[in-house]
Amino acid sequence: MRVVIAEDQVLLREGLARLFADGGHEVVASRGDARDLTATVAGHHPDLAVLDIRMPPTFTDEGARAASTIKQANPEIGVLLLSQHIETTHVVDLVGLSGFGYLLKDRVLAVTEFLEASERVARGGSALDPEVVGRLLGRGRSDDELSELSERECEVLGLMAEGLTNTGIAKRLFLSERTVEAHVRHVLLKLGIPDSEDGHRRVLAVLAHVRATRLRPSAPANS
Amino acid sequence: MSALALLLARGRVGENGHDMKDVRASTGAAFVWALCLVAVIPTVVLLVATWGRQLTDDLFGGVGGLSFALLSLSFATAGAMIVARVPGNAVGRVFLAIGLLNSIAQISYQYGAWGLSQPGGVPGLREIAWATTSVGEPVAPLIGLAILLFPDGRLPSARWRTVPWLAVGAIAGLVISGALAPGPQGAPFGALTNPVGLAGTHGAMTVLNWVAWGLTVLVIALGAAAPVIRLGRARGDERQQLKVVMTAGAVIALVGALDMCTWFIWPHGALQQRIGILGLCFSAYAVAAGTAVLRYRLYDVDVAIERTLVYGTLTLLLAGAYAVTTLALAIAVGSGSPWATAGATLVVAVAFRPLRAALQDLVDRRFRRARYEARRRVAAFMDDLRAGRAAPEAIEPLLRELLSDPTLELRFIGPESQVYVDTSGLPVSDVAEDPRLHTPIQRAGIPVALVVHSATGPRHPDPLTMLVEAGGLAIEIARLRVELRRQLAEVEASRARIVAAADAERRRIERDLHDGAQQRLVSIGLALRHAQHELGPGGPAPANETLNRAVAELQLAITELRGLAQGLPPAQLDAGLAPALRELAAGAPLPVQVQITDERFSAGVEAAAYFIACEGLTNAIKHAQAGAVELSARRRNGSLVLRIADDGIGGATTGGGSGLRGLHDRVAAHGGRLRIESAPASGTTLTAELPCGS
Repeated sequence: MRVVIAEDQVLLREGLARLFADGGHEVVASRGDARDLTATVAGHHPDLAVLDIRMPPTFTDEGARAASTIKQANPEIGVLLLSQHIETTHVVDLVGLSGFGYLLKDRVLAVTEFLEASERVARGGSALDPEVVGRLLGRGRSDDELSELSERECEVLGLMAEGLTNTGIAKRLFLSERTVEAHVRHVLLKLGIPDSEDGHRRVLAVLAHVRATRLRPSAPANS
Repeated sequence: MSALALLLARGRVGENGHDMKDVRASTGAAFVWALCLVAVIPTVVLLVATWGRQLTDDLFGGVGGLSFALLSLSFATAGAMIVARVPGNAVGRVFLAIGLLNSIAQISYQYGAWGLSQPGGVPGLREIAWATTSVGEPVAPLIGLAILLFPDGRLPSARWRTVPWLAVGAIAGLVISGALAPGPQGAPFGALTNPVGLAGTHGAMTVLNWVAWGLTVLVIALGAAAPVIRLGRARGDERQQLKVVMTAGAVIALVGALDMCTWFIWPHGALQQRIGILGLCFSAYAVAAGTAVLRYRLYDVDVAIERTLVYGTLTLLLAGAYAVTTLALAIAVGSGSPWATAGATLVVAVAFRPLRAALQDLVDRRFRRARYEARRRVAAFMDDLRAGRAAPEAIEPLLRELLSDPTLELRFIGPESQVYVDTSGLPVSDVAEDPRLHTPIQRAGIPVALVVHSATGPRHPDPLTMLVEAGGLAIEIARLRVELRRQLAEVEASRARIVAAADAERRRIERDLHDGAQQRLVSIGLALRHAQHELGPGGPAPANETLNRAVAELQLAITELRGLAQGLPPAQLDAGLAPALRELAAGAPLPVQVQITDERFSAGVEAAAYFIACEGLTNAIKHAQAGAVELSARRRNGSLVLRIADDGIGGATTGGGSGLRGLHDRVAAHGGRLRIESAPASGTTLTAELPCGS
């Protein structure tokens, strides 16, 4: 897997590069800011671009904007956004795309899971942080069809949204794959989403649904 | 003499410059004035030397002589000053002529009177005494002419052009008849014959003298009528000049007329005293007319007239009241009783103040309508102020209106700051450079304000002084209120600054936590993982375990740091209030309906709104047992209106140590308002209005 890293903190950048190298991947370029990032990515055409969401010069959402640009120009390049804390504003339009991941930075410390998620994104899958999923699904909400889901079904939905396959979910929840399949069917049924064998399409459907009902910003108030 | 002329000319009235003609006129005037002065000295010496002399019909002996010596000086001085300072004004030259002729007449009279008392005789007695009549008598028509020409030295109108010729005729008649009448000279020089008398013309000269005196009386009468006619059409300074002279003239004429009347009913006795009073009257006229022409304290005459009227009437009324009361009480309790006097005194004492006020009002209403109206308006305003119907600052527009000066401004002197501020409390730095008039206002000896006003119309400070005195309390209160507002604004500004600084600091801390400490910890974690990798799968198990534990500790630390940063304004606030609030709503554990304007506001207002939304949501989640929340933010009437409404149990208050109290302070720091509607069982609605400019 060929990787481009954009991260303004030198130590972290080097740590990440080493992490990927240790995992047997090739870091083809690393950058400290977002300025020539799109060009770099276009030039190297890596399998995966790992971007910090906040970078110089303004430390706001350079990473997210670069991610948008990259996905528009080269949808096949996987983009993994890293953030110090969860904010969904800048990534609302990205979470539905294939080959996109959004993780808290400290997830990198769980090396195996992090590399798995990276590879998944590079292959065109998704990898959303449980915090992001929770934010998107709105824990504890009680006003719509999500409230009809049982606790276990919610868990399964969350893991689906994180991008895990049925097998992955089964492993994570210590359940049999058949049970997980049953939960998935129920979830999709209750949300009115057509079932599909394609794991990624499944995630997309769930997220699209969630996004449609939750995250769509309300019409700006008239002033 | 030129130096004297320049001295006289100092501070002269009018626009003309010092051209040579004026300087020559001043020099001439100074010369004549000096002559009069020089002539008066021997006059007085001779008079004093023969004080108490026994001379029949000695009109100008004793006090009569002194009075007429003073008359010379009065007219000469007033005339010289007028010529020097108002060079074109004929009144000055006529006055000088009066002074000069009278000086000559007086010195010749006194020499003659002294000469008569010298047993051995004195040289030139007959000739010098002769000048008394021929030079002295023309003074009378000249005085008429002066009255006629006052105050501008011109005739009231072209129709008056014959009057000066009448005066000239009178003067000529008096000079000729006085100089050439044969036989004995006039009293008291009957013992001396006229050295240049024309024999055989006695009858003709007597007739001429009578005709000349008739003309003189006519000239004086016409002269006295002139000011009355002038007053009808005079404006501004001329009107004031006429008022001065007519006020003085009325008194002088009254005294003079009474004095002259005594001549008819009592031809002999106290002659010197009676002629002395007449001389003083003329001197008084010279002083009054001179000061009026020179415009010295021209406008004080109004006060003088008014005071005269008020106190004159007051005196008459009180005296009447005293007399009537005394009489009535004397009849009631018997004459000689101390009760009568005491009672009358009491009546006068009690009646004094209200009577004076009533008279003042009456005089004002009759003679000074504008002033009366102005004072009434100020009094009404003060009543409104006491009743709370008017703001003390409204004294400024009131003064503008009453003084017809729309540019008038009040500048208060701050009790603490000692700087000038306007009625809105804004400091005014260039007060000293303001070219307009500055009238200071003092209360209890402390300067409290300055009235800056234009000098329009007559240079008369009196109405302003009167109004400021009447409205002084309002000015004092306004000054204190202005100062209070200024200090309050200062406190508010400093509070807003403190909150803004605190917000900026919170943001900095948030950024530092995320970009500094947290990132550093992740880097260390990565380094540890790398070390683990380097140890390889065949590495020592305990070391691997230690590293795992270390990484787990780091993760815990990172999570804690994240939690710590959560109470701080998020970085999204940089991108605007709307995304930050949506983020906040999305993170809430209950459904939040969001309706937020995408407009941007100042950083301070956005931070405050975010903080309020956080607190409101926290309140809804923690205390209200709410099921759903509505969060809206929009701009209305120059304010950002933030509304957080839940469907919970209600009953929220700002009391105690609740977070809502903090909200109140924060909203107030931005000059906004916070409203909490939280009736039990009907949910809680927080509405914050934060002023955000246009």
